[in-house]
Amino acid sequence: MLTSKTKRTKRMTRMTSVVSHWLDVPSTDPDDARRRKLLNILLAGIAALVLLALAATVIGNAAGLLTASERFLLYQTTILTLIGIAVIFAINRYWSGQIAGALFLLLLLAALAFSDEPKQVADGRALFLFSIPILTASVILRPWASFIAAGLSGLEISVIALRALQGIPPVPTILGLFAVALVSWISARTLERALADLRAINRELDHRVEERTRDLAEALSRNQAILEAIADGVIVFDTAGKATLANPAMAQLVDHPPEEIIGHDIKALANTKVNQEDLQVIGELLRDTHRDYPTLKLEWGRKTLSASFAPVRDDSGRRTGTVVVFRDFTREAEVERMKSAFVSSISHELRTPLNAILGYADMLKEGVYGPVVEKQAMALERIIVNGQRQLNIVNDLLDQAQIEAGTLKIKVAPFSPRDLVEDVTSLMEVLARSKGLTLTGHVANDVPDKLPGDRQRLRQILINLVDNAIKFTAEGSVQIQVYLPDARHWAMEVTDTGRGIPLEAQPYIFEPFRQVDDPTTREHAGSGLGLAIVKQLTNLMGGEVVLKSQVGHGSTFTIILPLVPIQEDLR
Amino acid sequence: MTQNSENPLALIIEDDPDAATIFSQALQAAEFEVETATTGTQALERLKYTAPAVVILDMHLPYVAGADILDYINTEPRLMKTQVIIITGDHELANDPALQQQGRVIQILVKPVIYSRLHDLAQLLKLSIKGGTP
Repeated sequence: MLTSKTKRTKRMTRMTSVVSHWLDVPSTDPDDARRRKLLNILLAGIAALVLLALAATVIGNAAGLLTASERFLLYQTTILTLIGIAVIFAINRYWSGQIAGALFLLLLLAALAFSDEPKQVADGRALFLFSIPILTASVILRPWASFIAAGLSGLEISVIALRALQGIPPVPTILGLFAVALVSWISARTLERALADLRAINRELDHRVEERTRDLAEALSRNQAILEAIADGVIVFDTAGKATLANPAMAQLVDHPPEEIIGHDIKALANTKVNQEDLQVIGELLRDTHRDYPTLKLEWGRKTLSASFAPVRDDSGRRTGTVVVFRDFTREAEVERMKSAFVSSISHELRTPLNAILGYADMLKEGVYGPVVEKQAMALERIIVNGQRQLNIVNDLLDQAQIEAGTLKIKVAPFSPRDLVEDVTSLMEVLARSKGLTLTGHVANDVPDKLPGDRQRLRQILINLVDNAIKFTAEGSVQIQVYLPDARHWAMEVTDTGRGIPLEAQPYIFEPFRQVDDPTTREHAGSGLGLAIVKQLTNLMGGEVVLKSQVGHGSTFTIILPLVPIQEDLR
Repeated sequence: MTQNSENPLALIIEDDPDAATIFSQALQAAEFEVETATTGTQALERLKYTAPAVVILDMHLPYVAGADILDYINTEPRLMKTQVIIITGDHELANDPALQQQGRVIQILVKPVIYSRLHDLAQLLKLSIKGGTP
């Protein structure tokens, strides 16, 4: 049923196209084409009427209704008309619309002369018949041709009137014809102007479309050039996870030609080159529309790649897929690994002899190799203090390198804050005493026996802060305090009675390799990393550093850390 | 080598000779009899024939890792009473709960190991061995 309907529609379409093929006249001037088509339509209509008349004549003749003279007249008229139509059609189609139109009008006027009794033509009752050539002239020739048609009609009527009635020409009828001509001239002209305007608008529209198309093509080819030239691998996945676009760099990265990439999902692309865990993360990032799109680092075969994800949306904001940009980080990763390995190996090499120096100095001081006089003990003390300081600098550099490389890990386990404070106090006491300072440690009663945290890193923070406090305090004391500032946090605080830090210097003392710009700084030389590491470690632990200081009134560094409950498996 | 056969044996496993000297001085001062191994292979060889009261173990050794030696001490029945002091330069390793919670490991020391600290520790250990309570 459906097919028969389709067939019917198809047949109709074909017939329409055949008809319009014969009615249309190819012409460069759209007005001319329109007029000639109109003439063809008129001719076709008249031809159809004449054919009907011919059929009626044949039937009437068969029924014996016609006399011989009538039959002759009818056959003659219809056949002559058909020949005339064919001639005009041929002229119109293959030669000139103007000539065909003029010929048509003349024939029409001639035919009209015999349309009625001469008397009726002459007295104006046939006026409506004569408006046909006037209207036709205005649409198939030119708008002003209506006046010519009116003139010719008037002439014809006058001749008929003079010959038939020997009277005066029918002036009101002729005036009526000119009135019709005026109306059809105005209508046809208005119509032509409207059509001309429409054509102008169309031309403008065509021009704009062409311009936009060119712009679009230009933009597309520019984007294409960028995509082809870019060193990063660009791949677009649709919402079903299948690749819809991949640039040459992507093809090179994954070692497949683009045509082998398109239509496949990430699993097929990665094959066995990416581990399951990374694949799963990529899969989630491709599906997830709500998450932030972070950069992922992953191993792809022997390459190290970074992958950035961004959603692709259409004009209405609907997500149509995800674009992933892969960058080859293999060299950078290798350099990073070498740098890390170098730093850790050089730190080890620097520390080993320092450890020996410190160990032997300590043994000498402890009298292992015989009694030590007071001056010798003092010299050994200086060796130990300075050796320790150098060791701290080496450790700082190593830590800074690890923090920068992102390889420093925070390991949270329950530890005793009281032990920690005691440990640091006893360790730093020597240094404090050597400057004549008192170092005290205090843990508030409500602080629990165990807190969660990375004891080693907390110890390092505390040592750095105390070391810094001792460095910049000439007399007085350095205090360590541990307390609970609120229900969700705990705090470690180091307060000194030193010279304080100027307000303008406070924002940048936590930057690496930065010390307060001061002539006395030189004598307190250090790595300049101590406070930077304190801040970075504190941030890694999810805490914050608060500094309160006023020149001449000492400084207080407070480390505020979250008091998260100790996890069951770490207890 | 033996000066007093009643003194408990301490085995120092340390590849850095300076560090080894400092450790043995500290343990000798606390009246231990001291033996030194500078490689893991050497240490395992010694542990086949002796049952030290305490092993001072540097975790970073050439050829045989400190962890393997610790495993051997843990599994060998003959070394049931041997106690271990771990020495490491690695803060992260020192903080490793898995290592901290091993029964045999009585202390983890991070380098630089101060003579006086190890001396104090050795003296305490000596007292506990004499008192019979590990």
